[in-house]
Amino acid sequence: MSAFYWERHPDGPFSTLIGVTATYCSPDAYDGAYEDLVSRARSPQADDDEMRVFKAELRRALADPSLLPAGELDDAVEYNDGSDEKFLRRLWHDLYGDEPMAGS
Amino acid sequence: MGELRGSADDPEHRDQSDQPDRPGRADQPDRADQPERHQPPVPDAEAGQVRVELRSRIEYAADLEQRSVSGWEPRPFRSFGTDRQSGASAEPLEPVRRFEPGRAGLPDPGDAVTYLDARQPGRPWLAAARGRPPEVQRLFAALDQGGGHAHIRHEGWVTEEMNRCRAARLEDPAQLDPAKRAAGIDGLRSPEKLHRCWEISSRITDPDAFAAAFARGIEHPMVRAALETEFTARRVPRPVSLNLSDLLGPDGHRCCTGWRLQPVEGSIKTARDNRAAYLDAHAHGRDPDVPEPNARPIGTFAAGTMIFAFGPTRARDGYEVVTMYPRPLKDEQQGDRP
Repeated sequence: MSAFYWERHPDGPFSTLIGVTATYCSPDAYDGAYEDLVSRARSPQADDDEMRVFKAELRRALADPSLLPAGELDDAVEYNDGSDEKFLRRLWHDLYGDEPMAGS
Repeated sequence: MGELRGSADDPEHRDQSDQPDRPGRADQPDRADQPERHQPPVPDAEAGQVRVELRSRIEYAADLEQRSVSGWEPRPFRSFGTDRQSGASAEPLEPVRRFEPGRAGLPDPGDAVTYLDARQPGRPWLAAARGRPPEVQRLFAALDQGGGHAHIRHEGWVTEEMNRCRAARLEDPAQLDPAKRAAGIDGLRSPEKLHRCWEISSRITDPDAFAAAFARGIEHPMVRAALETEFTARRVPRPVSLNLSDLLGPDGHRCCTGWRLQPVEGSIKTARDNRAAYLDAHAHGRDPDVPEPNARPIGTFAAGTMIFAFGPTRARDGYEVVTMYPRPLKDEQQGDRP
């Protein structure tokens, strides 16, 4: 069975959010990955559909963290923030600064 | 480093000089009185009867714990190919012979033996490849010129004790400075950062099996799709998981071992928090107010997966595998039941 949520549920809820955070924020991420994610989020290219979906899913998860599939975000990232919500809040702040979380 | 005699195969042959109170058998003279201690050795006879143990006691204990929990036996990977019941390929290194470094985003290593000879003093993980078939040495030399760390943290040079310490205390096998390793400083990241590790740390115990898994893995369509993604700065393909048995055969999981951080009060999150607090206390010279983190062997990698994660090449003109390691089934990741 696939180890990853986005492989088991490619069209599942928050698949992009969990896949992108695993790629850039997990212990497996390459040296400099988190900095690349910050740059990618702050200067999105016109064709970067993945980051558009990522941002929308991040907003939705922050609005109601209970919508996230149980345990999947922590399994993918193994954050040290204590909860999905605390990790996502830190992520939003690092990526989007003071931009309102509840944007359009 | 303490020197022991015997091996995990035969632990009762341990040197007993550190156990002065252990009684001898009634039908034998006391150990100090055994006449053969005073006889010159007979090299040929000794070679056939005594194995000199080079592991420290702690390494020996970790090996023994791994074997008792998971049943791991350090059996050569190539012997699986001759096991009729395993169904494994009779030529398990065939994909390694076909391996083309360029298809993995790696430079051609040229003369692998020369490369390994020149680099091994400062890169001790290369020792695992020495004495292996030429195609295995070539794959290791190619990997070592890339930016990945699979052969550094997830291969046979990493001992069971090193893996236990990585899972329990974030000691990075790639960190060659003992003081920095004990402090949890990553051996590869620049500038220096604290090492990160999943709640499990795993390895492929046989260099031939490692090479076969990598060579076969990079031919898998999912990995090929990742490696052949058109390079775009700051974009990276997502990690891929493949069935272990697809890469190493139905018995391939027997070439994999790992350790898992043990839950605290039934919670792995609490265990991770405690691990961080324990290391932070040590880093700042305080007495930890949490228990020392503990890790135990993973029971089995049967039905597990091999993880491939990607990153940009050194030249930032394509993608390469930044790590590859075995991951057990989720139930095997949860640690001993509280």
